[in-house]
Amino acid sequence: MYERFTRSARQAVVWAEEAGRREGADHIESGHVLLGAVHVERSVAARALARLGIEPDSLAECVRSLKTDSLDADALAGIGVDLEAVRAQVEATFGAGALDAATRPRRTKGHVPFDPAAKKMLELALREAIRFRSKGIDTGHLLLAAARLDGAAAQKALAWFGHDRKAIEDAVVAAWADAGE
Amino acid sequence: MSSDLMSAAAGDDPAEGLHAVRSLRVLADRLEALHVERARRLGWPWQHIADVLGVTRQAVHKKYGKRFP
Repeated sequence: MYERFTRSARQAVVWAEEAGRREGADHIESGHVLLGAVHVERSVAARALARLGIEPDSLAECVRSLKTDSLDADALAGIGVDLEAVRAQVEATFGAGALDAATRPRRTKGHVPFDPAAKKMLELALREAIRFRSKGIDTGHLLLAAARLDGAAAQKALAWFGHDRKAIEDAVVAAWADAGE
Repeated sequence: MSSDLMSAAAGDDPAEGLHAVRSLRVLADRLEALHVERARRLGWPWQHIADVLGVTRQAVHKKYGKRFP
């Protein structure tokens, strides 16, 4: 399937893989792929989101807050729990980075696999490309796929901004019309 | 912490309170994993860990048996 990806779509996937590795995630998630698509400069996905008035940074923030295992320092501070103090205490006993590594196997290098939702997202992007009779799979198709990914973080993050699937599709089609990738 | 906890838990913004609850849960899970691992290394039997956590031996073994044998 990758051979059908445009240059931007490949960059998006590479970005997603790097982000996952950087976070020490045990899987590349749909949110990583969505953010990858948006982070490729002037990509169809980036331009479509700009049309919808969605800032890449707010989307990233939204994806982060949807992660099931995220520790929100601000939220904890709101109830009087100082996450940094807890972290320092835990690291004194268990070593540096212990608190962040506690939930997942440590994976600092090598291949990070895609989780089922992220795989599904790539498949749906292919389907979108077929539906639009496009020559290749670009970041616009990835964005359309994210909007169809019911229950996954990528879809929830998009839904958070209040645009339905149709609005996202219109924005992608308009971005395609602007200029090709 | 407890008076702050009460005020946030009873605060008027549900999103804030729910976010805090979720993070507390994540924090508790991570601390649990670290301490279970350490206890196993120190040779604690599963039953002992389960008793202290207030869960059944089966529950704690199912959750951590593979990771910290």
